[in-house]
Amino acid sequence: MKIKGTLALGAAVSALAFSTAHADTIRVGVIAPFSGPFALYGTQYQQAIETYQAQHGTSVGEHEIEFVFKDVGGPNPDQARALAQELLIREKVDYLAGFTFTPNALAVAPLIEQSQTPTVIFNAATSSINRESEFFLRTSYTLWQVSEPLADWAYDQGIRTAITTVADYGPGIDAENAFRAAFEEKGGEVMDSIRMPLSTTDFTPFLQSVRDAAPDAVFAFLPGGPPTFTYTKTYNENGLRDAGIRFLGTAETEESNLQALGDQAIGLTTAYHYSEAHDTDANREFLAALREDHPDAVANWAMVGAYDGVHLIYHMVEAAGSDGPAAVESALGLEWESPRGPLTMDPETRTVVQNVYIREVERNAETGMLENAEKGMIATVGDLGWDR
Amino acid sequence: MRNLILPLACLLAAVAAFFVFPYDLAFLTRIVIMIVFVLSIDLVLGYAGIPTLGQAAMYGSGAYAAGLFSIHVWGDPLAGLAVGALAGAAIAALSGLVVMRARGLTLIMLTIAVAAILHELANRARGLTGGADGLRGIRVDPVLGLFEFDFIGRTGYWYALAVAVAVFVLLAVIVRSPFGLSLRGIHESPARMTAIGASVYWRQITAYVIGGAVAGIAGALAAQITQLVSLEVFAFALSAEAVIMLILGGTGRLTGAVIGTTLFMTVEHIAAANDPFNWLFVIGALVLAVVFFLPAGLIALPRALTGLIVDKGGRDADRT
Repeated sequence: MKIKGTLALGAAVSALAFSTAHADTIRVGVIAPFSGPFALYGTQYQQAIETYQAQHGTSVGEHEIEFVFKDVGGPNPDQARALAQELLIREKVDYLAGFTFTPNALAVAPLIEQSQTPTVIFNAATSSINRESEFFLRTSYTLWQVSEPLADWAYDQGIRTAITTVADYGPGIDAENAFRAAFEEKGGEVMDSIRMPLSTTDFTPFLQSVRDAAPDAVFAFLPGGPPTFTYTKTYNENGLRDAGIRFLGTAETEESNLQALGDQAIGLTTAYHYSEAHDTDANREFLAALREDHPDAVANWAMVGAYDGVHLIYHMVEAAGSDGPAAVESALGLEWESPRGPLTMDPETRTVVQNVYIREVERNAETGMLENAEKGMIATVGDLGWDR
Repeated sequence: MRNLILPLACLLAAVAAFFVFPYDLAFLTRIVIMIVFVLSIDLVLGYAGIPTLGQAAMYGSGAYAAGLFSIHVWGDPLAGLAVGALAGAAIAALSGLVVMRARGLTLIMLTIAVAAILHELANRARGLTGGADGLRGIRVDPVLGLFEFDFIGRTGYWYALAVAVAVFVLLAVIVRSPFGLSLRGIHESPARMTAIGASVYWRQITAYVIGGAVAGIAGALAAQITQLVSLEVFAFALSAEAVIMLILGGTGRLTGAVIGTTLFMTVEHIAAANDPFNWLFVIGALVLAVVFFLPAGLIALPRALTGLIVDKGGRDADRT
């Protein structure tokens, strides 16, 4: 298999050799959605990259770093693979980055394995991606990484019964499994697991049945945007809040949606790895640099995932230039201070080990804006889904 | 003989493209696969006059069938294509029996519904299809045991092109056969065809099944080249975009499907590469321009141009 791979590589190497000879410019191909309903991801990646470059310059060591953007539109593995091929063969990139959706990342795994291209995942959150190639490095998070600590924490807060309500698609089911496994391990009881159609806009029947069952808490996993808005509205209007059924979520109150949710979001509890309101100098510096060029930009998990991804790429370029295997080697075990807190690149799972914070939505007295105020912290959580 | 000039020119261009754009083979291969898919819609919509916005149902079935076949049974690409074609034909036959009983808007809605149901089924059957993560682990053996799929995509391109040519020839024979002519008749006037004793229902189903098989082949090609199948193979956007490509090129002409797909995807590619943020404007403008100035599609461009020169008002161009 190894030999076969090397032979196949031979053809590619002749094409790639040109770029190695002129190692002074390192090119990074970014595959992300820049158009359509998911364009916000691409915009945020781009803003994060520009912010990092404004802070640290466009060169590291002797190498100039250049980013090449490719629009993949949405979950579209055919397109992702073709774009990766184009970037590797024609654009002669030395690194790949981006990847919002799991299938897109999975589709390039055989390519980066053959061409030995370090690939930094800015978002896609399914644990198993990194098993497909040792050239994958992930600076976002995995669903298990945030769902499990939330269940642990909820049990410690005296919550004994819960109902899970998740959108019926891959990530939703992952979140349900993670929450249930951790909560039941602790001794809690998941009374019911409700899967809601992905496109539903009316949550009343689901939440009414949750209210009737009267658990201590309701765990939710929803795709971003309008569903979250309707869900929280229904949560309030159907009296779940008044009945003392606690809302537990993960990304539901993320910053790009938060202001739109309005006062009804106040008090929602989530476990997540980044809040714009994170109170450290590193985060304040990041936000200041971001706002300098993009005054209206909202920093959320996707942006900070890209920002840390760029940091990782800069580190790898400095340590190994365009030598893929050496670059990955140099990244393993790397520790740095990110806007979200301390990070370590786990040598085994190649996903960052990070703190997960328990947050509550509050209105900031000074700015009058809603924010995810950090109330608690579960330190240094790795990818808990790696062995599941 | 004149009918052969345009298809042969297209083939020549495809062969030349391999040498002119050696670094873009992945993209060229995607065009070729899409051409096969749009050809299937041309047969169904352009010739048989069945309005469909759900051809992705057959494309997706072919993709999943070929993917699963290569994982669990045999990695041979041609056998995979056959399985994909069978799956596409089977889905078209099953759904066609119901869908063809309807007309007009109802029919369109039903074709969309079939694709949506399959999408949900694939989502639910996570253990089998991998759900939203996609079906992975597809390994494809060398074509005919000789040509291994390579990193740059040379084998992939020739393989896809050969399949596309075979499909084109097959469809060209079908549309010129008595069966194909009867499809045209049905397209013009179903009532008259019934009156002369042709069974409209069964002929439409037959056309739908052949179209389904071709769409299944396109899906199988995509699965083998990408080595991953995601839920998006059943997406409405895929069906709709393919119909736009067909209308762009000109319906009811096989070369129209080829030209429309190539132009749409090339413009999309160049626009997206030059401006990954606002390229959709260019596509929108292109579609609007063609619909306004060339209602019969790009295939009518030469006639429209000569019309413009010959009688200055260009009124003849509209009559095509």
